[in-house]
Amino acid sequence: MSAAAASAQLPAEKRRVRWAPALAGLCGLLALVATVEVVLDGAVEHSPLIPKQPAIAGWLSGLGERLGFRVFLIALLVAVAAYAGLLWLTSKFGEAALPKRFAIALVAALHLVVFVGPVLLSTDVFSYIAYARMGVEHGLNPYLNGPAAISHDPIFRFVGHDWRETPTAYGPIYTLLSYPFAPLGVEGAIWAMKVEAVVASAGTIWLVWRCAMARGFEPVAAIVAVAVNPLYVIYGLGGFHNDLVMMLAMMAAVALMLTPRPGPRREAGAAAIVVAGALIKATVAVLLPFMLLARRRVAPLLGAVGAIALGAIIAYAAFGSHGVNIVAALNRDAAFVSTDSFANEIAHLFGKPGVFPVDHDLLKLALVAIVVHLLWRTWRGYDWVAASGWSLLAISVTSTWLLAWYILWPLPLAVVSRDRRLLAATLALQSLYVIHQLSPLLLPVK
Amino acid sequence: MSARADTDSAAPREDGWDWLPPRLRPRGQRGEERRGRLWRVETLVLALVFALLATATINDLVRQVHINKRLVADLATWRAYTHHDYKNVGVDQQTLGVQSGRDVVCGNTEGGAPNSKTQICLVVTGPTHGGRRTVSGGWYLPPYTEDDVKQVRYGCFGSVTMGRCPR
Repeated sequence: MSAAAASAQLPAEKRRVRWAPALAGLCGLLALVATVEVVLDGAVEHSPLIPKQPAIAGWLSGLGERLGFRVFLIALLVAVAAYAGLLWLTSKFGEAALPKRFAIALVAALHLVVFVGPVLLSTDVFSYIAYARMGVEHGLNPYLNGPAAISHDPIFRFVGHDWRETPTAYGPIYTLLSYPFAPLGVEGAIWAMKVEAVVASAGTIWLVWRCAMARGFEPVAAIVAVAVNPLYVIYGLGGFHNDLVMMLAMMAAVALMLTPRPGPRREAGAAAIVVAGALIKATVAVLLPFMLLARRRVAPLLGAVGAIALGAIIAYAAFGSHGVNIVAALNRDAAFVSTDSFANEIAHLFGKPGVFPVDHDLLKLALVAIVVHLLWRTWRGYDWVAASGWSLLAISVTSTWLLAWYILWPLPLAVVSRDRRLLAATLALQSLYVIHQLSPLLLPVK
Repeated sequence: MSARADTDSAAPREDGWDWLPPRLRPRGQRGEERRGRLWRVETLVLALVFALLATATINDLVRQVHINKRLVADLATWRAYTHHDYKNVGVDQQTLGVQSGRDVVCGNTEGGAPNSKTQICLVVTGPTHGGRRTVSGGWYLPPYTEDDVKQVRYGCFGSVTMGRCPR
């Protein structure tokens, strides 16, 4: 390139940087407005998208209109476009596009808006409360009984129909963590669950920041990639899912391992935290073999074994043998099929009405092959954080029971991994998930 | 964003593995991912998987749109045929086969709670014209019928219902 061409390009670059903060501000505002729209409209009763719930956000109900599919999907698409813009701007210009304090303010505002609103798009949080009330208020083991066992309890009417007979599939640590919320009554427990989810999310984002710094990535871009993600905000945080608590444990373990010189105690602590995370929601256990293979030391192995032993004792003492056997619950849930799962879509592509039992076996086989390949790659020096993220992504792709918050699992790992393909793949799959939701938008308006 | 050189080090042990052939020995965590042959093969596989998933997603979206359009037309057809503008009308695409394109649309013959009155079920077929499809037949169900099965149907009409009502 000639000197003249270079000097002509420089002002253009500067002009673009000057526009970047304005554009980033606009994108941030759009993301916020779209979220506010969903929350305000969701607060109005009788929306087909909002689960039946106590009037916890009733004071907002006069401000919006009943949330329909069309408005929801338009708001979701606006949030996706704003997110894409912010992602591009922050990864290209970093803090020059979105200063640190504005990024934090945007993330805080999104959390606040979702926190004050109704429970969005999922009845899961009512199941968490039902399991807690079964144990505390009714003396029943939630690993043996479904919420139908407490059909006279005020929480029961809010539990999703599909889950009324189903014992809990969550880890014993999570079940015990939710026990203190049971005596708070239904509304009190919902607010406690909301606080738990928001605190877990804030913790995860803080750890993402720290991990990004440790690895030399732009931290503003990293937290924007996670905390402004529409699926994260609207589906994950909006549903107050315990996946956020699991992700907090996951990122705490990664952050411990990414400290400059972890030492045996921290390594053991990191492995123990992964086990604790798996006792919240089992999926995160997939990190452990990659962590152990990457370190090849005794300390993390001892940490993991110690945590497994302690967790098993606690689970057995609290729930008996059924509380220890979380694999059985996972196997049961693996048999479910959701309309949004990629397996179901591929079955339709090949003219089949849905997923057959043999397909479940093939998908499990594919998952095992992917994990074995990643283990081998990690053994030979591949980034263990990226390998863990790929495994979580592979679990969600090969699962016949795919929900929006499942494809959030690899996201915090993707933004701090050394393989940028992981972030691209995670976002690509999330885009496909959003596209699959769009059919109501393509119907003629009445 | 570019990765800083390995800062999460405290390098793992690489000694003690000399007994393994060099190709099987472990390596320390790398600061940057090497873009060798394996990386290219992986990327190609990822691209192919993404292409498959994207095709399946778009195909399923188009399929859903067709089904939804069919449902909307079925409801409009039932309301036009019965002259009742009821909200609680059920469409069943399974009874006569998902692939058959023949749907069964049931609703009350008079006002009342859903399923509390005699229901009229219409077999709706063919393409959509003017937002409606063709009624090819149908039957009645007594009040409070949970399952639309042959034994409880009566008053079948239209050739398409042959053999679908008890004699």
